[in-house]
Amino acid sequence: MGKNIIEVRDFTMQFGKTVVIDGLSFDVRRGETFGLLGSNGSGKTTTIRALLGIYRATAGTLTIDGKPYSVEHSAQLGYLPEERGLYKKERVLDVMLYFGQLKGLSKEEARRQSLEYLERVKLSDKANTLLDKLSGGQQQKVQLGITVMGDPHLLILDEPTKGFDPVNRRLLMSIIEAHQKKGATVIMITHQMEEVERLCDRVLLLKDGKAHAYGTIADVKKQYNGKSLDDIFLEVYKTDAAEQEEAYDA
Amino acid sequence: MHNLGTVMRFEVIRTLKKKSFWVMALGFPVMMAAAFGIIFFSNRSANDSFDQLKDEKFSFVVTDESNMIAPEILEQMDARTTPDKTSGVDAVKNGDADAYFYYPADLANGTVEVYGKNISMFDNSKYDSVAKMLLQTSTEGQVDPSLKAIVTGSVKSESTYFRDGQNYDPIKEMIAPGFFLILFYVLIAFFGNQMLTSTTEEKENRVIEMLLTTVNARTLIIGKIYALVLLALIQGCIIIIPAAIGYFAFGDRLNMPSFDMSSIVIDPTRIAVAIALFSASFMMLTGILVAIGASVPTAKEAGNFIGIVMIALFGPLYAFMLFVTDPENPFVRFLTLFPLTAPIPLLLRNAVGNLETWEILAGLAILIISALLAMRLAVQLFRYGALEYSRTLSVKEIFAKKKA
Repeated sequence: MGKNIIEVRDFTMQFGKTVVIDGLSFDVRRGETFGLLGSNGSGKTTTIRALLGIYRATAGTLTIDGKPYSVEHSAQLGYLPEERGLYKKERVLDVMLYFGQLKGLSKEEARRQSLEYLERVKLSDKANTLLDKLSGGQQQKVQLGITVMGDPHLLILDEPTKGFDPVNRRLLMSIIEAHQKKGATVIMITHQMEEVERLCDRVLLLKDGKAHAYGTIADVKKQYNGKSLDDIFLEVYKTDAAEQEEAYDA
Repeated sequence: MHNLGTVMRFEVIRTLKKKSFWVMALGFPVMMAAAFGIIFFSNRSANDSFDQLKDEKFSFVVTDESNMIAPEILEQMDARTTPDKTSGVDAVKNGDADAYFYYPADLANGTVEVYGKNISMFDNSKYDSVAKMLLQTSTEGQVDPSLKAIVTGSVKSESTYFRDGQNYDPIKEMIAPGFFLILFYVLIAFFGNQMLTSTTEEKENRVIEMLLTTVNARTLIIGKIYALVLLALIQGCIIIIPAAIGYFAFGDRLNMPSFDMSSIVIDPTRIAVAIALFSASFMMLTGILVAIGASVPTAKEAGNFIGIVMIALFGPLYAFMLFVTDPENPFVRFLTLFPLTAPIPLLLRNAVGNLETWEILAGLAILIISALLAMRLAVQLFRYGALEYSRTLSVKEIFAKKKA
């Protein structure tokens, strides 16, 4: 088993004439927490979608454990996408069982893990409730439960705290920490720099589909004269910020 | 295919759990049962009314210039006679009699006149019935039964046709292969919309991205299509079984034509062709509808397309007679071989028996190729259209993304 769980080499993604990612290369090491940073439209989600085989890369290679992603990897993957939701007209347990089985768990094991999780997050009485009868926060808990089902060794969380209430944010953080302790690799795609500083070992800062900073948080800070990650972010995106301010003033 | 069984099972079970499925599934047999019930009760009440009519007692006066009414029958019914029409009508007007019947001398060209005391809109018809019954009963013994059968058009006939020296019955030969045409029509009518919206739910609920990391787009689409086929079979059984039970259990009482099932002609070649055409048509249409559904963001927008597809598909039914009487017409050939319109003409003409071998082969090839292309396009559109949560993909974008 190599040092790197994920390797991306010369990855280019083009939609029509628009180049979204341009020759990007980076690695994610086994067991680390990796932050994929960048503003909206910088190519973070596209990179993850290509890594997970949802998009087909225009050029380059993206591998997990040395192979391009295939659904057989899903047993070891916990993915929380940016655009998230569940089958709202189905019962909580049915949906959890479905995703558990799709991840390769037996029905019995999926049921055991689902009920155990629902018990832990105090939703066991909602197991047979339709998802659209749950509150937004309760639905988020179910979504998180599906993400960590099967005890994955790779967690990919795209804007993980987006739309989460403080209770669920804390739950998410405790899930991330628990998986970190077990040696899982975590990739976080986020704008929240304090979360990155607190949780991540290394980061990649993307702008216009290119890497603008890459390495440990200490290395990146050193590269930018010891600035905080927030300030580094603003510096990388200063042209965009200035343009926006001008447009707003006008 | 990884997870195909899981997808199929989930899709089938969750559909079977929906009330809307059962409302639709049972709605058709229930409507059929209701229609048969109405026929049954109206037949029974009509028979009851007729029986009552025969026993109806009311006083009446008759003027018979035709000399066709038997006096003994009038006597049995306590009827009075009068040579004068005016006095007969006056008897009703004055309340001396309930009805008056006037039979003209020339029954072929004249009109039997009936006058009666008003009872109610429906009951008034009994006077007319008794007036006609008097004529029928009086003349029954005077007319030769054969002549009567000829005149009333009730002569029985039995026709036998030959084709290539063998007995041939086009109607009986049509039944078995024609069943697949009806099945196709019913299934598309029931499931067309479900096919169209089968992928929009995932999109509307934003569940697609999580799903695509655990199951291939192709597996997901094929799983959904198989589930639809299975649900269609369940629906077919829900329709056919009660209909068959109803026919065999109550067929006589519903005045339904008795049909000797053993007389259905089983032509293995035509039935095999019908099954092949039905399967390819069903798969092609499913692929097209799923592809349309995958390219739009919501079920509501998908619904806008169903009308167009249905017009193209079922429009050829309006040319039914042309398919039967003029199979070599270029318009018939065009509709038979144009992918979107092909299913109905192919299935219909196969049932009628005027589909030539080359047309069967060409039609099947066109349907199978179209089905494969539609499925492939559906998967492709699903892969890329699935992540367009709020807008419809343009044709240009589809091909740009396909290249990417």
